[in-house]
Order: sequence, then structure tokens, then C-alpha cells
Amino acid sequence: MSVLIMVATDPAAARAQWLNYPTPGIPRLANGAPDMKAPAPRTPDGKPDLSGMWFANVPSKDYCREKDCIQEERMAREQINLGIKLKDGLPYTEWSKEQMKIRRANGGREDPHSYCMPPNFPRAWTLPQHTRIVQTPGMMVILHEFNGAYREVYLDGRPLPVNPNPTWNGYSTGHWEGDTLVIETNGIRDDMWLDIQGSPITESARVTERLKRLNFGLMQIEIAVNDPKAYTKPWSVTIEMAVQVDTQMLEEICLDNERDTKLYKK
Amino acid sequence: MSRRRSHVAACVVTCVLLVSAVSAHHSQSEYDLRGKVEVEGTVTKVEWRSPHAWVYVDVINDKGEKVNWSFELPSPVTLMRRGWTRDSLKPGDRIKVAGAPARNFPAIAIANSIRDGNDKPLFTGITKTYEPDAGKKD
Repeated sequence: MSVLIMVATDPAAARAQWLNYPTPGIPRLANGAPDMKAPAPRTPDGKPDLSGMWFANVPSKDYCREKDCIQEERMAREQINLGIKLKDGLPYTEWSKEQMKIRRANGGREDPHSYCMPPNFPRAWTLPQHTRIVQTPGMMVILHEFNGAYREVYLDGRPLPVNPNPTWNGYSTGHWEGDTLVIETNGIRDDMWLDIQGSPITESARVTERLKRLNFGLMQIEIAVNDPKAYTKPWSVTIEMAVQVDTQMLEEICLDNERDTKLYKK
Repeated sequence: MSRRRSHVAACVVTCVLLVSAVSAHHSQSEYDLRGKVEVEGTVTKVEWRSPHAWVYVDVINDKGEKVNWSFELPSPVTLMRRGWTRDSLKPGDRIKVAGAPARNFPAIAIANSIRDGNDKPLFTGITKTYEPDAGKKD
């Protein structure tokens, strides 16, 4: 109730679209705040419900409340280097090392993201835009704010395609192992970046994402990559996503007014 | 290359990448992030569009000439989540801007600080979050 009163009486909240509008149907504490420690919700068929808006579990920087902090953003460390938590980093092949040398020498200017290309998963989990999961019994749809992108994960038991036409997000199927949703993906394009420093992922990749909602507020995602062209051995990293409530997805169409790539060269 | 130089070179690569990473969509290598530009002038236009908002400012230079500067901001989406709107800055507003200049173009920069006539910082703030570490504390 207190949240509703705040929205009704705060003119800033009232005009800021739905950025402060209470999300209905979620567990709340007595003071109206979302109960992040409540158990993970379940669908009518008893599966964990991963539906909701998600963002990398990165707190806002408190010192930015009042100070000059214009360019500061909530940013997962994995956005720079997906293997940052691995003791020896990602196991790049010689081919990958050469690619990254070129990418670094060019200041990262060939990053497809800079040119407004789609937010390819699994990288998209770490980007500074929000993701929304819509879960149905036969399909999970994953929406992403950047370019209004979507990804389909088929939950109907179909096999992965054989020799598919490569795409930005590839082709994904999912199945449940207990309370963990296991998503398998193939058919990824050959020229994808996994992070800002240019870690490659290629058409030879098979990606396994294991999604587990630990409670209402937190979801763990293990990303396992088997890509013999880009990596000498399979590897996996685990990231955390925090649920985002009392807010909304916002449109961010990158090509609307993209000017930075024009500044690269005179 | 001496060990010290190689260490510095490594730092340059890492530091540039780290600094670059604050951007929503691009590498920022088009800007000289170690350079600094500070101007004071009058807002002529605000572009509240993706992937980055831009603010244009008329500035009188040392020769008494009027120069229209372009300053890049974060995405409108990021700024809106901090509570700012397309009306937060209007043509005619007097502001001070500090930022890093474009390497290859004059009068273009990425803004790190925008202050109004009372020296109050604009486009500050944080995105509302609810205890994102809740799960870890159990």
C-alpha cells in the first residue's frame, strides 16, 4: 500500500512512464517492498517460473546519487571479460589469440555491438540493458531491450537442428533437470563477440546455459561453451542475475541515432 | 621492451578497455579519454534518442566566435532509470560541461559532468534496485 501511495503522490513517479509502477502479483514485505528472499515462484505445472525482468546482479553506485557520475553504469564485470572469474582466463586457441590481438589493436572498434548489431546471447546477459523472460509450457521467450530483440527457447522436446543456417542467437532448446532449466544452443554465427575485449565465439560452438532461480530475487546462470575453433577446451562460468521489479522494459533502438562509429574515422 | 614498459603497455590496453567498458554500446576509442574539455554555454538542442542522448551547446571561444559543441551522454534508457527525462534540459538553459574530446573531430566530446547555472550536477543518480544480494545473505 505504501508503494501505491508513493506513486500516487509523487509527481515525478507519476510522469516517469511505468518506471515506478508496482509490479502486480509478486511477494512483498509488510512495508510494500518486494520480498527478494521469498521462494522462487512456480508455474501451475510445478516447474520453477523464471518469468520476469532480469539484470546482472550489480548494485547501483551509491556515490552517484548526487555527484557527477554521468558515464557510470551498472555493469557486470563479465561484460568486459566473460572469463574474468576463471583463474587462467578463457582457454583461447591460437586463432582466437590472433583475432583478439587485431580487435584490441583497433580499440575494439569492430565490436558488432558498436555497430548496433543484435544483442547475441550469452553475451546479452551481461549487457547494460534489461532482459525479460516470458515462460510458457512449450516455449520460453527471452526479450532484450537492445534493439527490441527476442530469442526463442523451445521446451517441447524437439532436437537441435542439424547444419542450421547460422544466426546471431543460434537455435535453442531447453529441458528441465530438477529445478534447473538446461538450454542447449547451436547454429551461432562465426563472427560473434562474447565480451568487450573481443573473446570470440564461432559456428563450431555448442553452448549450454543452466538457469536456476535461487529465490524470488536471484537467478544463477552457468554458461558452458564448447567451441573447438575458438577454445582449446570446454569451459564454463557462472553469472548471477537480479530480478527487476516495479519497472518496465524500455525501448533502445540503437540505429535510431548512432553517431559514434562515424567518429572513428575522419 | 623493458619490463617496466611492457607493464605500462599492458596497463594501457587494460585501462583503455576498462574505461571503454562504461559505454552502453561502443568502445569510446573515438574519444581521447585522457584529454579534458571544459566549456560554458547555452543549450541549443537536446537529442533524447538511442543509443546515446546528445546535448548541443553554443560556446563563445577565445576569439569571440560562436561554436556549437556536441556532447554525448549515456542512453536515454539509462538516464530515465536515474529519473531524468527529455525535458530535464531545454534549449536556452545555461550549463557548464566537462568531458573528453573526440580524437578526430573538433567541438565534439563525451560529457562527464554537466552542471546548471547554480553549479548543481545534472544527470546524476542511481537506478532503483532492491537488495540484489538478497540470495547470498541466506
